[in-house]
Amino acid sequence: MSFQLNQLCCALELAENSNATQSSPHQALFRKLLMILCLALLLVFSGKSNAAEHIIQLTAEVTRDDGFGNKLLAYKMLSHRVNGQDITNRYSLEATIPGPTLELTEGDTVKISILNAIPGNEVAVPGISKQVSIHVHGVHYNILSDGTLKVINKVDDEGAGAGLEQTYSVYEYFWDVAPGTAGTWAYHDHNFETHNGAEHKGLFGAIIVNPIGAHHYAKEYVLYLGDDAFWGMEINGANKKQSNHGPNPTLTAKEDTHVRFHLIALGTDLHTFRLNGYKWFDPGTDNRINEVAIGPLEKHVFSVEAKHSAHYEDKNLSNKLLGMRGKFNVQ
Amino acid sequence: MFSNYENLLIDDKDNDMNNKETYGLNRPIMQLMKCMVVVVALLASSVVLAAVHNITLTAKTLPNGQLAYALNDNEAVIPGPTLFVKEGDNVNVTLNNDTSIRVGFKIPGLQQSASKVKPGESKKYNFKAKKAGTYAYHGDMRGKELLGLFGALVVDKAHGPVDRYMEANGNAVSVNRSDIDKQFVLFMVGSTFWGTEIASDGTQKPLWANPHPGAVENDIVRFHILSVGPGHTFHLHAHRWFKTGTNEVIDTKLLAEGYDTHSFTVKAGTGVGPGNWQYHCHLIAHMEAGMHGSFIVDPVGGDGAGIIGASPYGNILLGTKPSEPGVVTFEVSDEPASWFRSARGDAIVGLPFDIKTKSLEVIYPGSSVNFIMSDTNGVHTISSLLWPTGAQHMPFDQSSAYRGGGFVTLHTPGLYVFTCKVHPFMFAAVIVDDPNTQDGLDLGNPQNNYTIDLVTGFKNLPTSSDLAVLLLKTFFIATAPDNWQDYSSGQWNVKYPNLPLITTGGVVNLSTLFNINGQALSVGSKPEKRGVGEVWVNTQFEKTAGKNKPGTTSVIDTASWTVKRKVALPQINNNNPHNMWTNRDQSIIFQTQWFDNKFSMINRETGELIKNITVGYSPSHVVTIPTTDDITIAINGENGLYMIPAGTTRVEKMMPTQAHGHISANPHGHWISADGSKIVTPNINTHDVGIYGANGDIEARTPTGNNAPGAHPIAIGMMPDSSKIYAANLLHHTMSVLDGSTGALLKTIELIKDYDPFTGSIVDKDDNGVEAIGVLPIQSPVSPDGKAVVIASMGGHIVIIDTATDKIVKSLPCDPGCHGANFGAKEGGGYYAYVTTKFGNRLTVVDLDPNGNGKLSEAKIAGYVSLVDTPSTAKDDTVSGLPGFGGQGVLAVPNVYNGWVQNLPAHWKDALTTAQQNPIGH
Repeated sequence: MSFQLNQLCCALELAENSNATQSSPHQALFRKLLMILCLALLLVFSGKSNAAEHIIQLTAEVTRDDGFGNKLLAYKMLSHRVNGQDITNRYSLEATIPGPTLELTEGDTVKISILNAIPGNEVAVPGISKQVSIHVHGVHYNILSDGTLKVINKVDDEGAGAGLEQTYSVYEYFWDVAPGTAGTWAYHDHNFETHNGAEHKGLFGAIIVNPIGAHHYAKEYVLYLGDDAFWGMEINGANKKQSNHGPNPTLTAKEDTHVRFHLIALGTDLHTFRLNGYKWFDPGTDNRINEVAIGPLEKHVFSVEAKHSAHYEDKNLSNKLLGMRGKFNVQ
Repeated sequence: MFSNYENLLIDDKDNDMNNKETYGLNRPIMQLMKCMVVVVALLASSVVLAAVHNITLTAKTLPNGQLAYALNDNEAVIPGPTLFVKEGDNVNVTLNNDTSIRVGFKIPGLQQSASKVKPGESKKYNFKAKKAGTYAYHGDMRGKELLGLFGALVVDKAHGPVDRYMEANGNAVSVNRSDIDKQFVLFMVGSTFWGTEIASDGTQKPLWANPHPGAVENDIVRFHILSVGPGHTFHLHAHRWFKTGTNEVIDTKLLAEGYDTHSFTVKAGTGVGPGNWQYHCHLIAHMEAGMHGSFIVDPVGGDGAGIIGASPYGNILLGTKPSEPGVVTFEVSDEPASWFRSARGDAIVGLPFDIKTKSLEVIYPGSSVNFIMSDTNGVHTISSLLWPTGAQHMPFDQSSAYRGGGFVTLHTPGLYVFTCKVHPFMFAAVIVDDPNTQDGLDLGNPQNNYTIDLVTGFKNLPTSSDLAVLLLKTFFIATAPDNWQDYSSGQWNVKYPNLPLITTGGVVNLSTLFNINGQALSVGSKPEKRGVGEVWVNTQFEKTAGKNKPGTTSVIDTASWTVKRKVALPQINNNNPHNMWTNRDQSIIFQTQWFDNKFSMINRETGELIKNITVGYSPSHVVTIPTTDDITIAINGENGLYMIPAGTTRVEKMMPTQAHGHISANPHGHWISADGSKIVTPNINTHDVGIYGANGDIEARTPTGNNAPGAHPIAIGMMPDSSKIYAANLLHHTMSVLDGSTGALLKTIELIKDYDPFTGSIVDKDDNGVEAIGVLPIQSPVSPDGKAVVIASMGGHIVIIDTATDKIVKSLPCDPGCHGANFGAKEGGGYYAYVTTKFGNRLTVVDLDPNGNGKLSEAKIAGYVSLVDTPSTAKDDTVSGLPGFGGQGVLAVPNVYNGWVQNLPAHWKDALTTAQQNPIGH
């Protein structure tokens, strides 16, 4: 039921060929009202009183100058409201790598918009996209929320900034966090410079979709396996504060607490992940494993009971020699 | 010419629509042709009891030179025919070989390697489909199977559901075979998808390369994703499915290196609706290399037809189906000259046009070029060097080197040249011929006055200009050993293709303009004065009988100027040895294998292997730290330097050349300051010079090339007192001079200032008193006494710079492919610069100061040394081809550079003068 209702909205958007705030005269209030109506209906008919409506604003910025003028890009949380309640303060005030981790629950809906704070993004350059976008994995969305360029999706340049054909100052995406989408998934840029985007330059983050009534963990760690480092962050399970962003972070846990690791790979390298001295369930199975092969944009989620300090590491030869590892400190 | 298919050409501006139509028209014919394909398999597999399948496959060569399997008398297809059987069935395969090479049939996990079939013969294989699953079958030919001899075998359980999919509401639904509307096989090979569509009636239709498979919303579609060769991750937008054998829901799946498979089923567009949903490999390097397509989900009521990809039979020179978009394929190889070898290279060479290169292809607008790293142990990029002005999708490039390949569709007529950024003498040329011009092959776009653009930012260069012709000549020499200067043969012949080419200046024929016939060649005289010790030269292209990878090291005795030893190392299949250094007591030679991931230690006195060590991909240069004797190895295909502590054979760590998360620098020819405090790298991928402390701290990253794109700094020289750094910018034809302590850019010395790229005239435009050019500068060491920089330039020049003024003071001739340079001691004082060339087989010895008066302007070539072995040359293998060719890294023993010379054992120091022992006088 919820699916059909959402599709009705989407069909209307398709017909109007925009779910974005255009720089040029944009579509009428009518569409927005309709969307709100749809979402309201969705809430009513979905029969799940705990399905939340998320309204999120992200921006993309230039960050992490290496001291010699070489820069990375990163997402930053501007605002996150859940059913009207502002939870923005759980996120970093800065643009971070990885970007903000969005915690969602099956049944939720998300309206997420992207702004582009990368200098020069509004100046169209033939053949080069200045857009940044949010392409999400795992959840449901229609073709206008794919976060790709028109050269791929044949509909629109779905990002903020000057695309190859279309320029938007803000672009909005609608996600249906439908039943069956539980898991941890990546979101990343797909539009910067080329149709491949700039996910490997820092524009990536994670969504954690929990099933209704999911277990709570003392700590959640997101670890992106990049081509020369883990890019990590952690979430305090009690107050939901997000912290400790950056390469090869030292993760901390209290002894005997249950913590959850969310691995996602990104870049070009294939990895073999280990958390030395720990075993965990291979997701979706009853098999206990102590290492896992993982390739770009695969995800691997597991929980352990924090018993002893250990190192997490990648066994890929060059990455291991580069020191692609970090501490898991249990106190 | 070559435009006889013009009436059938697809209009590239509207190819989606057109292809759709083509596809529709073809469909009934295809179905007729294909129904035979599946009858055997389907009839047999639909019975309940274990069946016996008798399948006849024939390996064939396709019009573009790729290889493929055909079922019975059908067209040969890539991937090969999809074979459907049930668990417990017995399968007999008869394999006929209509190709010119030996072909096998192997199914990892079911049927192991058996003997191969010789050309023109046939052989039977049989196996039992003992376990359900999707299997890859392939030709088992050490990489040649990646040219197309691979297919899918689907073994389903004899009873019950074959898979399950997830509904929009999250419910898992079992799938029986009868529920399936369509199946797609997508093979991930190199950086290309090869597809087959299987209709519900079992009809199979080739979708070829990077297709856009189609379905109607809510169709039940089963995907079989397979890989052969390097690993991948498969991602399909907006769909999700079960990881095989688990309850884990995924939308991306690793296909491990070697052979791997993954089958899953989706309900098309469920929860997300219709759309062009991209599928792609999610490795960035492969995404950038073009590894993607779209799954087109039509709304209910649509035809779900999809769009066919590029076909080996399609619209290319001598293609048999000009109405379909075509594809030509280059194998990426460690083989000298044929680094990008067209799959039909032998056939191209055999055409009556006097073409000597296997790296040239001709296609028509809208067709594609496919690269597959099937014959190399290194990592590479597929990167544009030049293209017709205004061409779409240019420049084509990847932000990191990797294993895989590349795939690019070309619409604009004209010449495209591709290279590998890591190994920038690897070349492939593709001419997209405009079918509307009749006078010859188009080197540029007729709509744009036949001009080309270069990756370094040079726009609208006329194809008749001297520079464009120079680049063309370089291509035809570098990629054709027949055109190399073989001094042992006594004469030089250069043959350019006898073809009319349309340029900005009209129709030209390179053959009539530039061919060289029987020019006398003699090695020239040896240097009169002796050198000190030995000179080790990486004759990187020389072939020997005992290994299938090229390369030897030629050891020259400087007392007699003869090759006293050849070190081939057949026991490790020594692959493209590129550069060397030695330890303090000069007892061990360290050597990189540039097209591999290996680093060797060799006993200098005996030439015997001490240890072959696995390192990162495409190691280029090796230098020791003078203060510790620790070994540093530039990993040219990756993002740092490997470090091996002195006296050990174990890699201890990798020093990164960039901050975390930043674009990989890919260092090539580094140097280390005499006091061991600074490691300086030329970063070919980020176009800068990096300065790193001994502890690995990044102290400076200085861009080179005056902000021009793609300067490609490739080698570093350093003053003996470390006051200045010199970096050769290969594609920018300049030397960057940097402050040795801060890394600040002091000066950019232009090496082609005197050259007019349009007319080719050379006049002293930079007012330095000499007419001198250095096209494509490579190795550029500073003399141990700090007086001069000697630059080996691939265009065939040796340029000498006075470090007091940082101006060019002299230019000397060099053979084609001039590459390496390093200094050694001259007997009685002073230094020789030893200069190597790739496409000639002699060593050039330069005397910077023949009269001992310090005047660099009097520098001259002291003599030459043949690099061809003689009966008295000691050898560990027999030279079998390209004798003495491929001169690259060069190392004089003893090492007389400041910082290293002081560490020599006494018996080596005794051969040196006092000044040579203390090159900067303290």
